[in-house]
Amino acid sequence: MRLRRLAAFLFFLSATTLHGDAPGVYAITGGTVHPVSGAPIPNGTVVIRDGLIESVGANVTVPRDATVIDATSAHVYPGLIDAQTFLGFAAAKKGDPEPAPDSLAIRNLRITDDDLDAGRSVGVTTVVTAPNTGIFSGQSVVLNLSAGPMESRVIKSPAAQHIAFRTRPTWTFPDSLMGVIAHIRQTLMDAQQYTAARTVYERNPAGLQRPAESAALEALQPALAREVPVVFVADSAEMIRRAQAIAREFNLRYVIAGARQGYQLADALQGVPVLVSVKWPAAPADKEDREDQPLRLIRDRQLAPTTPAVLAKANVEFALVSAPGKAGDFIPGIRKAMENGLSAEQALRATTLAPARMFGVDRQLGSLERGKIANVVIADRPLFAENAKVTRVFVDGREVRLPAPDKKATATAAAPIDGTWSVTVRAPQGSVSMQVTLKAEDGRLTGTFSGDRGSGEIRNGTITDSAFEFTISANTQNEAEASDWAFRGTLSGDTMNGTVATTIGNFEFSGSKSK
Amino acid sequence: MSTPHANPRHPERSERSRPAQSPRIPRCFVALLLGTIATGALAEDLLIRNATVLTITNGTLPNASVLVRNGKIAAVGANVTAPASARVIDATGKFVSPGIIDTHSHTAVEGSVNEVSLPNTGMVRIADALTNEDISAYRQLAGGTTMALVLHGSANAIGGQSQIVKWKWGRPISEWLVTGAPRTIKFALGENPKSANFRPPEGQARQYPATRMGVEEVIRKSFVDARDYLARWDEYEAKRKRNEAAIPPRRDLLMETMADILRGNIDVHAHSYRADEIVMLLNLADELGFKIRELQHVLEGYKVAPEIAAHGAGAGTFIDWWGYKAEAYDAIPYNVALMVRNGVLTSVNSDSDELARHLNHDMAKAMKYGGLTEDEALRLGTINAAKQLRLDNRLGSIEVGKDADLVIWTAHPLSTYARVDTTMIEGEIYFDRAEDLARREDMRREKEERLKKESK
Repeated sequence: MRLRRLAAFLFFLSATTLHGDAPGVYAITGGTVHPVSGAPIPNGTVVIRDGLIESVGANVTVPRDATVIDATSAHVYPGLIDAQTFLGFAAAKKGDPEPAPDSLAIRNLRITDDDLDAGRSVGVTTVVTAPNTGIFSGQSVVLNLSAGPMESRVIKSPAAQHIAFRTRPTWTFPDSLMGVIAHIRQTLMDAQQYTAARTVYERNPAGLQRPAESAALEALQPALAREVPVVFVADSAEMIRRAQAIAREFNLRYVIAGARQGYQLADALQGVPVLVSVKWPAAPADKEDREDQPLRLIRDRQLAPTTPAVLAKANVEFALVSAPGKAGDFIPGIRKAMENGLSAEQALRATTLAPARMFGVDRQLGSLERGKIANVVIADRPLFAENAKVTRVFVDGREVRLPAPDKKATATAAAPIDGTWSVTVRAPQGSVSMQVTLKAEDGRLTGTFSGDRGSGEIRNGTITDSAFEFTISANTQNEAEASDWAFRGTLSGDTMNGTVATTIGNFEFSGSKSK
Repeated sequence: MSTPHANPRHPERSERSRPAQSPRIPRCFVALLLGTIATGALAEDLLIRNATVLTITNGTLPNASVLVRNGKIAAVGANVTAPASARVIDATGKFVSPGIIDTHSHTAVEGSVNEVSLPNTGMVRIADALTNEDISAYRQLAGGTTMALVLHGSANAIGGQSQIVKWKWGRPISEWLVTGAPRTIKFALGENPKSANFRPPEGQARQYPATRMGVEEVIRKSFVDARDYLARWDEYEAKRKRNEAAIPPRRDLLMETMADILRGNIDVHAHSYRADEIVMLLNLADELGFKIRELQHVLEGYKVAPEIAAHGAGAGTFIDWWGYKAEAYDAIPYNVALMVRNGVLTSVNSDSDELARHLNHDMAKAMKYGGLTEDEALRLGTINAAKQLRLDNRLGSIEVGKDADLVIWTAHPLSTYARVDTTMIEGEIYFDRAEDLARREDMRREKEERLKKESK
């Protein structure tokens, strides 16, 4: 019996790669060590033992049992933390249940090897992830991108409650922004009442109606008690102010995620942690489309990447995050913030210690210090420099294998729907024309529209094979109002067709691809 | 009106389709302008000199001055003295009026102005979705409109809570909200709330109500529910007073709104067209114990003007805009005059970003159709609107102590030749024609330079 077990164990060992072994002892020597918690150390040494950092410094003795990794002329960093991702969650499809405050990200995520590779290959060893769906998107998890069972990767769960100002389809409450805000406020009020009612009942239930159980309202209690932060996704200045108004009304500890117009709000964001998305607004590919835009929009998208530098100057605590972009765009996005005034040191802090502090894991992560979790990244030149390459990555003290470069390249081939489409909606009042620029990525559809009914970004876009859906906020004819138009169609070569659901009925649409 | 229609003469029509992303008037520049001019204007007195002043409440004063101090009107008349430090605007040959007040606007709402999903959406608030990035607000300043009631749409019998704002272009929304203004809510009768002109998406059941009877029932039931709700809270408070254990009832945002209407804390502005449903609503309000503050659209108001006046409701209407759906057919341009003559507090309003830019024209038309006097016509978009919003103690006329929301016109505002030179709110200049023109070249150059960066 014992032999059999031993045999099985040996088989397990042989079947796993070097990464599956016990963490082991490593000494990374000769490189420039960036501990984040202190100044860079030229020719420094980092010793890793049993998954933790044993020592860091210029005069560290390499232990006898250590495997020595020569990092001469390379740079050594704590693993980066990408503190707002949807890693492990697919884009919502029709009929998918919406998450709720009691949804735990850790119970629902599905992380593939490609997901792990995408993060690690740019130096990310830890993520905060929650679904990108629903108004209450549930409770996120701080997760190491390590091998092994999912539970073993968890640093902290739940990490935060996540709330987005996301409308539901027309005719389902709430289908307007103001409805979403009413829904958030009512839910938080219900959560307050939940505790008040139970407190009275539990004191002496005799003669009292029994309050109903609610997992969702129960799950909001730590947020109301300020034990976990609430992450509000808010990009524009007004949306950030809306989030702040709710946070103040319910005395929440909160974090703003997105913050495209954060550059306008250095004062309003004093004391508020901010997760600045480095998916910067893109200019339309077409020259004429760019010229048609008002200066306000052009200026706004050009100033957006100054947000990190503006916040840094104002001493606002912020982190840089990839969502709603993907891991591969993380470093280029950070570099763009650096081109707009952020120093490399500030950028590093904003991807290590700053997010660790926001989520209360800074005693474990975020810097190269004795006793912390051994997430270590080695790059051939300063991490955010042009053409820098991550060469070796350790997560939880184990080295992980990085993907071959060619594997990354194949992931970015253009999808058939990518491009600009001339779309005509046949409404009873006459046809409505617009240009729609679409891009498919991992089943998500993003893009912009402009034409007879205004312009803006598309929302809730999904694509499966040739079937796609997206929603726009279309102006009504007098342009004083806007309402959602939900497109659902199929793609066939350079044409598309389907139906648009609006508040005044369903119309057919067709589109052709602009060459 | 809130739902699109085909008719070319309707506010929901597609007349000149403007690409929303290419406003003619650059809004960013205005923010800059405000930073330099407007903040300076607050600190010092401002004297508008030698104008024809249309006071609205005290007649027309030729060769008169208006002194503005701390955002208020400090003096009006022929012999106004100002300190030497005062900034002076020479308005010789020009006309000064109070800012126009539009009691039916959907400007500056982010996302849908309708929460469509339920027959009663009184829990939602327009104030939560206002955005300061809608260029239409600036364009309205350029037409002399300084203030508006921004209403929820008309998709439901009881819509969301509306919001009274001033178009303080360039400022955060928190500064647009008129402090101390009454809370308001939108009701709607007829075709829109009974979904006569649109259908739910495929596979989804048609939403109740589908008839005018149903609309009435939704409103009545909502107030009956609100009374039950209040009774539950009363019972709870009574138990607590007696030190009995009691579980607090749920705080329900919708029911709180309904209760506040019953308490008189929220004014009702009701979208309505037909005479029969107008009388229905007035009777229903009497029965349930609340007031209709203002009937909106009210195109058949002339048929039941005495009833409207007896209830004490105001009427905010269009002068010559009709026929865009069945219930808007029996309309006449004399509606305004007939209601005024029958003692109804009447205003003309826009329901349109475009019309909101020249409400002075619609005021003028009331002189042609039905023979209102010049003063009566001017009141339609000023003091009458202020009364309907219950802000006439602060706004709607040029009187000492009122907010200095003032418009300087190149000609009498009831003339089609009149153009706005300057629009100010609380003494701060938010639109100045000369400044606007002067900055356009800078704007053009900045845009060119910024586009150049992106073409690389």
